[in-house]
Amino acid sequence: MRQGRKSYLSQQQSAWLLLAPFLVTYALFLVYPFFRGIWISLHDWNLLAVAFNPDAKDFIGLRNYERVMWGRNIEWGFTAPLLQGLGLIGLAFTAFLHRTNRLSRFNTIALGIVSLLLVVLPGFHPGEGGRWYDRRFWPTVANTVLFVGLTVPGVTVSALLLAAGMNRETRAMGILRTLFFLSQVLSVTVVTLIWQIMFSPRQGLIANITEVMGGTPINWLTDQQFAMAAIVIATVWWSLGIAMILFLAGLQDISSEIYEAAALDNARGARAFWYITLPNLRRTITLVVVLQIILHFQVFGQSHLMTQGGPNDTTQVLVRYIYQTGFRDSELGRASAMAVFLFVIMGAFSVIQFIIGREKDE
Amino acid sequence: MNRGYYWLVIALSIPAFIWLVPTLWMVSLSFQPNDVLARTTSSTAFGLVPLPFTADNYAALFTFGQTPWWFLNSLIVSLGMTLGVLAVSTTAGYALARLDFPFKRTILVICLVGLMVPEQAVFIPLYTMFADLGWHNSYHALILPRMAVPIGVFLMLQFFRAIPQDIEEAARLDGVGWLRIFWYIMLPLARPAMMTLAILTFLYAWNDYLWPLVSAQQREYFTITLGLASIQSNFAQSEGLGRVMASGVIASLPVVILFLIFQRYVVQAMTAGGSKG
Repeated sequence: MRQGRKSYLSQQQSAWLLLAPFLVTYALFLVYPFFRGIWISLHDWNLLAVAFNPDAKDFIGLRNYERVMWGRNIEWGFTAPLLQGLGLIGLAFTAFLHRTNRLSRFNTIALGIVSLLLVVLPGFHPGEGGRWYDRRFWPTVANTVLFVGLTVPGVTVSALLLAAGMNRETRAMGILRTLFFLSQVLSVTVVTLIWQIMFSPRQGLIANITEVMGGTPINWLTDQQFAMAAIVIATVWWSLGIAMILFLAGLQDISSEIYEAAALDNARGARAFWYITLPNLRRTITLVVVLQIILHFQVFGQSHLMTQGGPNDTTQVLVRYIYQTGFRDSELGRASAMAVFLFVIMGAFSVIQFIIGREKDE
Repeated sequence: MNRGYYWLVIALSIPAFIWLVPTLWMVSLSFQPNDVLARTTSSTAFGLVPLPFTADNYAALFTFGQTPWWFLNSLIVSLGMTLGVLAVSTTAGYALARLDFPFKRTILVICLVGLMVPEQAVFIPLYTMFADLGWHNSYHALILPRMAVPIGVFLMLQFFRAIPQDIEEAARLDGVGWLRIFWYIMLPLARPAMMTLAILTFLYAWNDYLWPLVSAQQREYFTITLGLASIQSNFAQSEGLGRVMASGVIASLPVVILFLIFQRYVVQAMTAGGSKG
């Protein structure tokens, strides 16, 4: 460093110079593609046709969204009693919790919206002589939601229990944490490789063990009843680590004095977990759940490689459908409309995550 | 340490072992001969112990097949992406954290919004863009899109914000320019944060699947993650189970080693990445 000399660049100039590399890549490879994606979704855009002739795309406004999400003679009614009933119960429950002041305003709104969506969305169905323009889209969304609905509680509950058990700074606990976290660093293709063969009815470890115990091996990946479960199991195995670490970090913030005080009142073990750990971890739990929803809604590799979306589309998920529509059927316009749909859902959860994260900082 | 503690350790060891079994099985199968595996995968202790033992699968990987080449590709892409992300994130993070300039808030907000855009929502337009430029099947096509993700900027920004002001002020009084302060004072201080970001990026690059799948269509440009996907669909017929498993082990080796050496950073990086991007 040379001393006593004024620098060549002012603060402003330095700032722009330092910012430039990031801003340029950001604008080129994120901002521009994002808007271009919306632009493509407004066109009848065939991948191959446009590749040969850049003008071979027609502006069709919102028609792609209609083709993907709507149909002819779509009506609304209470045709999915199970889901809609669940939604109604959810609404009543939300109202009850709100009246008794057990929920923060934010949680009330979130729970209310989810319940309302459960009442409204499954009610749409084609009326007489009607049909969905795209028969596969909503079932695909439903599969994705089912996958998230099974994976997130699975990961959250097991990670929470394990973290509560391992909340001690000893060597043994450190090794156990390492073992649970190890699978998290593997790539999705390694995970699917392992689990494809684990689940194989002829060569799989699970089948081998079932046979020794006298059962008949299940055809996990090709049986409609078990394919989704198989993917969920592989995913829980894969992604438990981060949730566990986040919970461990949350547990560190609970002071040991509370536990000592509780121990005087004879609250130990399971009781301490229920009355002290859980209430104090509420924010962390919400954060982990939202994170997992965002992460697992984007599931692709597990479905693409383990079951190819099958059997009978039971494990077809949204990102895989986007990929297929775009790159197998060359329908970039429709695929982009679905990608925008995905972004809207992800964006909503990201906003929730951001709000929760902000509360923590304050 | 009381009795309860030991019981807890023993009780937790059981699920921990179950958690380890699938990985262990992959490693064990990779050391068994293919002709044995074609008959049974549970020779010794359900196949968890590699007996009969052979290292032929690994030898075969390095004599034919494209695994070594894919491995090299992954290494080039991952290191390139790590360097690129570090370069743009440290500079932008520093400017946003410590320097004053017009529109700073606006830029911050624009970057924050970018955190919400998932890769899956932009991979189609990115594909058409790179196709128009004729960039597919190249290393830069695999590297560039990730450099635009603002998570690294925010990681660095948070770190730079926490550094006390007086270090900078003392240097300013001595007439040191901003760029020099950044290069000679701030960057050395930022090593731990850069380490975290580097590991986060490397892991992401090594394990990324969707973008390489659309961008790299020629096998010469496959990353190991993508290559592994391409051989696992027909593993039994073509290559033999043992060899495919050996590829899986090779594909996992760098990230597992990274994890075991820099465990603290990896956990930090993955939780930071998980909770923000």
